[in-house]
Amino acid sequence: MVRRSLVSVVDDDESVRESLPDLLRELGFAAHAFSSAEEFLTSDYVDQTRCLILDIAMPGMTGPDLQRELKLRRKEIPIVFITAHRDETVRPQVLEQGAVECLFKPFSDTALLIALNAALRVS
Amino acid sequence: MADSSHEGSVDNAVGAATATQSPSNQALSRVEPPQNESGLFSGESVLNILKLIFAGAPLTEVLTVIARLVEAQGKGMFCTIWLLDKEGKYVRCVTAPSLPGFMTHWDRTPVGPDGACCGTAVYRREPVYATDILSDPLWDSYRHLVTPYGVRAVWARPLFSSEGKALGTFAILYRDVGSPSATDLQLIENASHIVGIAIERHMNEKELRRSEAFLAEAQRLSLTGSFSWRVETDEITWSEELYRIFEFDRDVPVTLELIGSRVHPEDIPMLNDMIDRARGIGSDFEYEHRLQMSDHSIKYLHLVGHGTRDRDGRLVYIGAAQDVTQHRRSEETLGKVRSELAHVARVTSLGALTASIAHEVSQPLSGIITNASTCLRMLAADPPNVDGARETARRTIRDGNRASEVVTRLRALFSKKETTIESVDLNEATREVIALSLSELQRNRVILRTELASDLPVVTGDRVQLQQVVLNLLRNASDAMSAVEDRPRQLLIRTERDEGGRVRLTVQDAGVGLAPQAMDRIFEAFYTTKNEGMGMGLSVSRSIIERHHGRLWAAPNDGPGATFSFSIPCGPASATGARSLGVIGTPAVKDVKRVQGNP
Repeated sequence: MVRRSLVSVVDDDESVRESLPDLLRELGFAAHAFSSAEEFLTSDYVDQTRCLILDIAMPGMTGPDLQRELKLRRKEIPIVFITAHRDETVRPQVLEQGAVECLFKPFSDTALLIALNAALRVS
Repeated sequence: MADSSHEGSVDNAVGAATATQSPSNQALSRVEPPQNESGLFSGESVLNILKLIFAGAPLTEVLTVIARLVEAQGKGMFCTIWLLDKEGKYVRCVTAPSLPGFMTHWDRTPVGPDGACCGTAVYRREPVYATDILSDPLWDSYRHLVTPYGVRAVWARPLFSSEGKALGTFAILYRDVGSPSATDLQLIENASHIVGIAIERHMNEKELRRSEAFLAEAQRLSLTGSFSWRVETDEITWSEELYRIFEFDRDVPVTLELIGSRVHPEDIPMLNDMIDRARGIGSDFEYEHRLQMSDHSIKYLHLVGHGTRDRDGRLVYIGAAQDVTQHRRSEETLGKVRSELAHVARVTSLGALTASIAHEVSQPLSGIITNASTCLRMLAADPPNVDGARETARRTIRDGNRASEVVTRLRALFSKKETTIESVDLNEATREVIALSLSELQRNRVILRTELASDLPVVTGDRVQLQQVVLNLLRNASDAMSAVEDRPRQLLIRTERDEGGRVRLTVQDAGVGLAPQAMDRIFEAFYTTKNEGMGMGLSVSRSIIERHHGRLWAAPNDGPGATFSFSIPCGPASATGARSLGVIGTPAVKDVKRVQGNP
């Protein structure tokens, strides 16, 4: 049996944490959701995570903060950012820092799938 | 030239021909002692002149009477009186009753060292006696003007007011050469004294009339009338402007009944109350009431009375009444402008809030699309995952409702409405504002803590306007922390019961704080510390809170940051009607009863 790739979702929005893992599982991934960057970092899933779907704006540690932190820890997890802020300046910044994609909410399942495939190819 | 004779010396270079002398030198030493009193004015004639003066006769008439009286005291002498002009440059002859045509030939003489006798006397501020004008150099330029009348000697004495101000010159012209005797001097002295009184009195009258005219003009311009009210006899006097304000004819005697006939029927009880109080305690009063004019238009009158006692200890009120109709109308307009302004401020923050709104709407939309995608995939599976599909469809509906709520909240916040009064749950209103601002706060990495009192009483007021204030305080707090990197950007919103039946809301930040010099200015319109701020937020907020009979203030924290708070009365007493919110608070005055004049 092929082991499914674990996609971790970090978002403070509950409805994202609720809906996105279901879709990911439908798309053939294993999924786990975290409500904050801190929660993800202290969990046991960091090393197993093949791809991180990461919200940009969160209270406390933000998405880009987590991206930097993972770099410092030499954890090369491909990141797909998601954000509800249609701020065009954020996207090039996070991509420059090595993110695979930055999706603006709401995004389609196809767009998500393309981003995930790209992320998993990287890894 | 006459310059050399100015000092009145006989020993100067021009020679002994000069006869111009001051009474201080040898002229005085040669006068004979008075022989009798016949040269002086009788008491009766002085009385007649004074009567004339105080009856308000024209000045030239009075002076002519005096001049004739002086001339009647001897033969071969002509009396002239000269008045100093406003600039003090010339003396002008105003009467010379026995010298026909004199004034047409010689109407003025410059005040100076060589101004014949009349101008020189004012210049020197002492009498100048020309014992023979034919040889007196002072007369070189003027001699021809008086010789046709056969004049040889001129005695001039300057006239002064009671304050020592030069008024003009009293001058007697003689057919014979010579200097004045003691009797003559006495006559000149007495006549000058009465002439001085006449001139001064005339000038005072003129001044009084001018200041009365100024006062009337000022009253008309300021729409302020003055009155006096003798309480014991109900004797009332009005200034002209007060007649104009009440639109009564000037010849109508003013009575309390007459006043009552113009006072707005609804304000009559207040007027009666005011009269009763005024009669009783005699303390100062201040009222505002309406007048209903004959064309049924309304005027607002602001009344201030000051109680005094006359010499017999009877109560007299002196007061002023101002027509403040225009002011009241402006206040109403101002209220409208304020709500416009609040709207502008809302729209201005709309720009900054757009991102926040987009976020609020995008979140549930994102959920809807993700759930719907999942749902479709679950249904397309073989076999279809119906339970999963049902669950995701349910979530889709929930997120749809969530998006719809956001829109409703936005509509409430940004719709332009006149002030509406309702019961407002400040906690609830605050939660809505927080919900709208949350993403913006998060974007600024603000850690929001709320302490909303569970037992908070409702307040009465305009919900949207109060939310505008809370939103503004939140955004300010968030902006104040945007540069803070060395500590958590903590923001606390607290609601609580305040003393005196009030409710208090506090917004505490850990931002850059307030500079002491900024403390006084932050509530001023157009004062801002932000790059893109208009500086309207706090000023509009304060006016909103004040219209809720509340108070908005700022204080520095013990640690970093600042705390903004407002406190408003709770319950129905806080605002009795929409109109009362539009009333601008005026400083309280002791013993004052105010009626807003609103039905």
